[in-house]
This record gives sequence, structure tokens and C-alpha cells, in this order.
Amino acid sequence: MGISKETMQAIIREYGGFELSDEELDLVQPEVDGYLEAMAGIADLDLADVMSSRLLRVAEGGTEDA
Amino acid sequence: MPNDALLDLTISELAPRIAAREVSPVELTEAALARADRLQPQLNSFITLLHDRALERARELEAELADGKYRGPLHGIPIGIKDNLATRGIRSTVGSLVLADNVPDEDARVVTLCEEAGAIMLGKENLEEFAAGATSNNPHYGAVHNPWNLDHIPGGSSGGGGANVAAGVTFASLGTDLGGSVRLPGTFCGVVGLKQTFGRVSQRGLMVTSFNGDHIGPMTRSVADSALVLQAIAGYDPLDPSTVPVPVPDYSEGLGGDLSGLTVGIPSNYFFDEVDSEVEAAVKNAIAALQELGVSAVDVSLPTMEYVGALRAASLSDGVVTHEPYLTSDRDKYGPNVIYRTLAGQFVLGRDYSRAMKVQRLIKEEYARVLQEVDFLVTPTAPVPAPRIDAVDIELGGETHRVRGPGSGFISRNTSPLNGNGLPAITLPCGFSDGGLPIGVQFIGRPFEEGLLFQVASGYEQVSPSKGIRPQV
Repeated sequence: MGISKETMQAIIREYGGFELSDEELDLVQPEVDGYLEAMAGIADLDLADVMSSRLLRVAEGGTEDA
Repeated sequence: MPNDALLDLTISELAPRIAAREVSPVELTEAALARADRLQPQLNSFITLLHDRALERARELEAELADGKYRGPLHGIPIGIKDNLATRGIRSTVGSLVLADNVPDEDARVVTLCEEAGAIMLGKENLEEFAAGATSNNPHYGAVHNPWNLDHIPGGSSGGGGANVAAGVTFASLGTDLGGSVRLPGTFCGVVGLKQTFGRVSQRGLMVTSFNGDHIGPMTRSVADSALVLQAIAGYDPLDPSTVPVPVPDYSEGLGGDLSGLTVGIPSNYFFDEVDSEVEAAVKNAIAALQELGVSAVDVSLPTMEYVGALRAASLSDGVVTHEPYLTSDRDKYGPNVIYRTLAGQFVLGRDYSRAMKVQRLIKEEYARVLQEVDFLVTPTAPVPAPRIDAVDIELGGETHRVRGPGSGFISRNTSPLNGNGLPAITLPCGFSDGGLPIGVQFIGRPFEEGLLFQVASGYEQVSPSKGIRPQV
């Protein structure tokens, strides 16, 4: 799966508020491709029941009650 | 001992002599500034040098000693501060043109703590633009050079700090580590770099940072010095909700302690999969040395590392939000490496951000389980020794990897996972490549067990083939 240059251009223009040339889009592309590849790598992972990893607070010198 | 020679000592060696008034903070600071001036044309390690301020502070601290007031082991010690840490009344650029004239009205918490401990800030250190990269090849303030070989990068993003500590300009430097930015200069410059547990040190005053996973940590010339600096900066900050209120132990207590009975886990996947042969050999030798010190070694499996790339979705999104205030108005002031990496964050879906956070949780759980079976983990810090400054790509195992800009990240593949799971990790030198470049080994510990990491690292430090070898600059 990839994102076309036209779509990238439209998102950056409409959402980010500025134009990028084709040459500049080529420079953005590797990072986007890396992102898409990484997400494809977890496509089959069942994450529905994974809990939050929010930090727990512990009072100074105390127990897990804060 | 000539004042210049004092600069090659460690804080631990120097502190008792300052306390005894055998060494003058003023003379020490003068020597450090002289070395900084001599090496700045070669290393380009500072963006701003603070001659007058440093000397004024040194005089104040010397007067305190004369009055019998001694603040502790950082009293009168010249240090460097990365230029993405806010310093009141002092230009703080974050290595960018966007903030070239930025003068904060408040110090970062860590700066306040270091100054209260008696450290003397020599200057603001050069870094990668916006601390977003591993080379410290800054397009606006010039490339930082590695003291071991000026044609090579010092690592990044805290490259100025790594170069300064290695070259004996500073005794410690505070860097920031979002994906390895303290540990990579540590390994490439042959010094000790610490990324402590997330939440152990306040991030208040760390500028243009990511929402998720940044850490402020020290680079030093010894493990003992790393413990001393962490002692000064660790602790709960009620004004930084990312800090955790757990007690701060005496980090020097276990230094030199017996390592027998400890167990080290050697990851059987990921961390050694893509590593230069010289790096692999040096780290394997370090493991053998640990075993000779009484440490048991077992293989451990970390299957969730297969998914670690997904965390990139979160960092991309965080990056674009962090830069949002400047992306439109100051786009022309960005260098090409940062702007095009940052813009990619606009394409990350919210769904993928959530999935990345859940993967992060899975990885945290797995490390928590493994670290019940072993006391610490060992890995190469970086897959290769320091690349050349002019390198765009590096070749390893028949594959090409980008060193900088969009698509890069290979250099930080062994360090960035620890930013995702928040575990403490320390790098220290474990030998050299045939080309004379330092190689680092990374120890990873359980949350808030920096003391154990210091114990292990100090034990290995005594037998490391890098012991006592400094760059000739």
C-alpha cells in the first residue's frame, strides 16, 4: 500500500497549508513509506485488548495509593 | 599538575581536590575555556561559549570554598549544556535558525539543579537541527566533529556534548535522548552516556521536544561521574507530570560492587541481527569479560521487537505536532533533513497512532517479563562505528542504510526501543574498530534500577580494553 503524490500534495496543501514540489515530495516519501511498511508489519496483530501504559503514581517513599 | 592536565581527570578524581582547595575552580574554568577555544575550530562543539559568565560563576564558587561552603562533587566542575535545554538570559537555539534569537526567561530544571550543585556552565553545545537526527551535522551551525577522527560524526543529536566530554573540554555534558541522542554520542565518542528511566529526571525546559519518550541524561568520562550527575538531576518535579515520585537512592553506593550472582540476558533476536562484525566482536568480548567477573549469561528472546518499527508512527505524529508552530511561518528556515522527515508525520492516521501505543505496551510487558528472569540486558549500542561526516548512506551486510534525513534511523535501531519502553540504559566504551573509532556496549536495566546499571558498568569499566585511552586532539 502506498500514498500517491497527488494525495500527499493535497493533504499537505489542504491540511498543512503550503505547497511542496514534486522534488520535495520525493524527499518526504521515504519516511512515509517507512511508516506504511511498519504498520503493514502489525496488520495481523490483535491489539483490541491491550491496556493503556499510562504511568502509575507512587507517593514519595510510600505505596501505590497516590 | 599543570591546569590543562587537570582537564583529563574525572569528576570523581577532581572533586576531593577541589573540596580540599588544592584545585581552584577559577583556574580549572580558565583551563577548560582555553581548551574550548583551542578545539572549537576543529570540533565545532559549541554554539555559544560563555567565557565571562563561567568565570564569574567560578569566582563565586571559589569564594564559597574559602568560606567553608562545599556544595558537593559538582562544586566548581565545568560542564556543557545542550542547546535545546532552556537557559535563562542565554540564547537557546535548539540548533535551529527558527529559534536563532530565542532567549528563554527560565532555566530548564536540570540546569537549575546542576548550578545548585555547583557545576559551572561553559556554554551551549552544538547538536543536530532540532535534535532530530543522529549525526550532529547541523546545517546552520556547522557539523560537530568526532575527537577520535575529525572526518567522522560524533553521533547525535547531542554531538557537541559527546565531543566535549571525550576531548576533555567539559567534565560532563547534559544531552537529551529521544531515540539514542545521548547514547549514540556516548558510543561514537568513547564516553559514558546514560538514558535513565523515563520519569526519573524532569524534562521541564527541554525545548521543541516530543510528547513521548524524550529523556535528559549525562555524558561523562566515567561511570562514577555518570552516577554523580544523575544524583544531581534526578527526582520528582511537581511541575513536570512526567516525573515519578519514587525515592532517589545513592547512585554511587554500588560502584565497584561484586557482580557475581548477577545474570545478564543476551537478546537472541533483533539487537545483534544487523551489526558490523567489529562491533559484534567487541560486545561479545565485553560479555565474556562480564562472565569472568562472575556474571551468568543466558540467551533471552524478545519477539515483540519484530513490531518495534510501528513506534515510528507515534514519533512521526508527535514530531509534526511539535513543529506545528513553525512549519508554516518558518518553513524556509529549516534544513532539508528535518523538514522532510517532519512533514511525513502529517500522513499518520489516528488509528495507527493508537496501534503504535498498544504495540509500545506489548513491548513494555515483554521487557518486564524478561527482566524478571535476568538482572540486565546487554546489546551493542550502535550497529556500526561512527560513519564519516560526508556519508549519506552506509553499507552493512549487503544492504544500504541512510545515515541522515528521511528514511534514516538505522544507526539508532538499538537505542530507540528503550525510549519506547522507558527502561534505563547506559553505554560505555568496549574497544575500538580497526580504524581507531570507539565502540560502545549498552546495558539495559529494570525501571528505576540505575544503581544496578552503574554497579555493572563500573565493574566492566575496570576491565574494558578502552580503559584509560583518550583521543589525541
